[in-house]
Amino acid sequence: MSEWQSLLQSILIGLIFSYLLAKLISLVVTFKEDNLSITRQSDASVEVVHHPKKKTTVVGGAPNPRGPEAAHDRHETESMIAEQGSVRNESLPCSDIDDDDEDDSSDDDDDWEGVESTELDEIFSAATAFVAASAAASSSQKVSTDHQLQLYALYKIATEGPCSAPQPSALKMTARAKWQAWQKLGAMPPEEAMQKYIDVVSELFPTWLDGSSLKRRGGDDDAPKTDSKGPMGPVFSSLAYEEESGNELKMEAIHAFAREGEANNLLKCIDSGVSVNMRDSEGRTPLHWAVDRGHFHITEVLLSRKSDVNAKDNEGQTPLHYAVVCERETLAKFLVKQNADLDLRDDDGKSPRDLCESDWPWMKQPGSTD
Amino acid sequence: MEDNSSQAGSAKENSDQNSEGNSLNKDDSSLETIVRKFQDTVSLGKKHKFWETQPVGQFKDVGDTSLPEGPIEPPTPLSEVKQEPYNLPSQYEWTTCDMDSEETCNEVYNLLKNNYVEDDENMFRFNYSKEFLRWALRPPGFYRSWHIGVRAKTSKKLVAFITGVPARIRVRDEVVKMAEINFLCVHKKLRTKRLAPVMIKEVTRRVHLENIWQAAYTAGVVLPTPITTCQYWHRSLNPKKLIDVGFSRLGARMTMNRTIKLYKLPDSPATPGFRKMELCDVPAVTRLLRNYLSQFVVAPDFDESDVEHWLLPTEDVVDSYLVESPETHEITDFCSFYTLPSSILGNQNYSSLKAAYSYYNVSTKTPLLQLMNDTLIVAKQKNFDVFNALDVMHNESVLKELKFGPGDGQLHYYLYNYRTQSALKPSELGLVLL
Repeated sequence: MSEWQSLLQSILIGLIFSYLLAKLISLVVTFKEDNLSITRQSDASVEVVHHPKKKTTVVGGAPNPRGPEAAHDRHETESMIAEQGSVRNESLPCSDIDDDDEDDSSDDDDDWEGVESTELDEIFSAATAFVAASAAASSSQKVSTDHQLQLYALYKIATEGPCSAPQPSALKMTARAKWQAWQKLGAMPPEEAMQKYIDVVSELFPTWLDGSSLKRRGGDDDAPKTDSKGPMGPVFSSLAYEEESGNELKMEAIHAFAREGEANNLLKCIDSGVSVNMRDSEGRTPLHWAVDRGHFHITEVLLSRKSDVNAKDNEGQTPLHYAVVCERETLAKFLVKQNADLDLRDDDGKSPRDLCESDWPWMKQPGSTD
Repeated sequence: MEDNSSQAGSAKENSDQNSEGNSLNKDDSSLETIVRKFQDTVSLGKKHKFWETQPVGQFKDVGDTSLPEGPIEPPTPLSEVKQEPYNLPSQYEWTTCDMDSEETCNEVYNLLKNNYVEDDENMFRFNYSKEFLRWALRPPGFYRSWHIGVRAKTSKKLVAFITGVPARIRVRDEVVKMAEINFLCVHKKLRTKRLAPVMIKEVTRRVHLENIWQAAYTAGVVLPTPITTCQYWHRSLNPKKLIDVGFSRLGARMTMNRTIKLYKLPDSPATPGFRKMELCDVPAVTRLLRNYLSQFVVAPDFDESDVEHWLLPTEDVVDSYLVESPETHEITDFCSFYTLPSSILGNQNYSSLKAAYSYYNVSTKTPLLQLMNDTLIVAKQKNFDVFNALDVMHNESVLKELKFGPGDGQLHYYLYNYRTQSALKPSELGLVLL
């Protein structure tokens, strides 16, 4: 009977022992998981464009984090990359901050002392963007956990200031390690943190600035178009230019010169014997084109070269019809002075006077163009 | 226990990798490379580290029909929502913007006027009017705490802004309380200060504090993951001005004369019984609109107070017209647009572009083409330069015929913490965000 009992006892002890062992294992596991997620979250796999001088170390890369623990942890502690990566969404909602010419506002420049972005801000911003971007690429150079934590802590100081968050529970190794790194920096000024962050990045990746976006400020590499669009919100859209299709218009060089306002070329054309009343396939003369585009000087030139002021296009419209429809008052007045007929009807039976929707008093009363 | 031990296995392997160097794990890393490459392709080569941490549809899940439609994360108890605001860089502080205050409203107006969305070429910048902002930010049941500003501590200058307004949005058969997030703007001088992510997190936190867990928003950029992507279309009303300011271009073979004739509109609407909406029309318009919107996959769930707020005409903010049958006096059709001018940057002759944006339109008796044409006519009468519309709802069917031209802007629609199983066609979307 007592044998029975001692057997039971040893089984019981065995059970307790194995329970404790299991507990220990699971603790170790949690610890490792957490470590892994440090690796993953805080940029284990920072990598650089290949550079011959660079001594390549472990290509480790972040392990694929699966399992509920990891996922949970990912949610709980903000991933450093997440924050840094988001920087790239930041340049919202429109582009060039560099040229402040747009600033028509009444902003007092003194107010911006210590508030506006400085060069340090921009380099720091580029460094964080670099770290985030390199973490996302595929051939990776590993950064030690120490460096990751250091970068994390500096980042937090630079962006949020001294650590005021409560200490995470001892079981959350990642969160705790990150918290401690942040806490350790105390009340370091943000500028110092930014500078140190840049120093660490420069030490790890001596060439990081080579390909950086800061370069584009000098060059005219037309960098991210997306900068003009914010991370969220509405979009300003304008009409996309569509190549006209099915427009079989045939025109001569003289029409194009009149259209583009190129007086010298136009004169050369006329002097070389091209008719000043040359028609395009829609029956328009160079004068129609000059008036359509609003070129006063060209209009003068053409009329001084005996252009027909009342020439009709294929729809029966004269340059004055064009001036009236396009609401070009100065030109219209000038044409009338040059004997353009205000009452000449087009194929729809409309005279320039009929088509006039603008409030031009001289147009309403016949014969009073002055 | 089993779960743990399998994790133990993988954790061990990985720690081995880390400690022993790279010789053993070529396989692993190349597998990883493949996974990454795959993710890169599906995300169009872009990484969205911020959005990957957020409960939004992820690119990697696109096409995965095993994931259920609905909230991605369940609500957490309110007591677990972070009670204090997120930390800002030390020079800044949070402020709540009371849009009833003339002074605050002015500050917000000026911040947006000088710093909000521009076009790609920086020729135009949205210039939401003060009346518009008050309208957009104070719908029925709005929360003042969702009108969030950031000030510089020393000068007290308003330097950033983000807002949410509550809305009931139906996704298929589920009506979900959501926040519509909009007006995220950071002063141009602070663009590298990384304020946007923390502002997004802060507005999210304040939305959570009201026990609301979903949001709707739009963006011009592709983020994880659009529920649909819409295209802007533009109908010139004042083509000469649009060409002069660079909103549109005159082709080399096209004359201004002919362009102006092309876009000419009749002087007055053609539909008998076409008139401005009035307060007494609210019940009829609500019925009409609810019935119409029920056919779309995602649409607002408007009640009468919403209709009164969002659709009853307000001078220079929102215009609504309807068709009242001359015989039966029944309200059969409805159309509306909102007023959003833009500053024209660096043009000597013009400083403002007056744009109307198509809002909600319902056609039951009057053909949509005719209804929209009448809308264009009243917009022209009101001196708008251009009429803009998205290809949402049934718009696409009439845009070309009404001489709308495609825009260079795409607008992506997103839901926060709500998964839809597949992307919608623009014509399945019945939601217009301002």
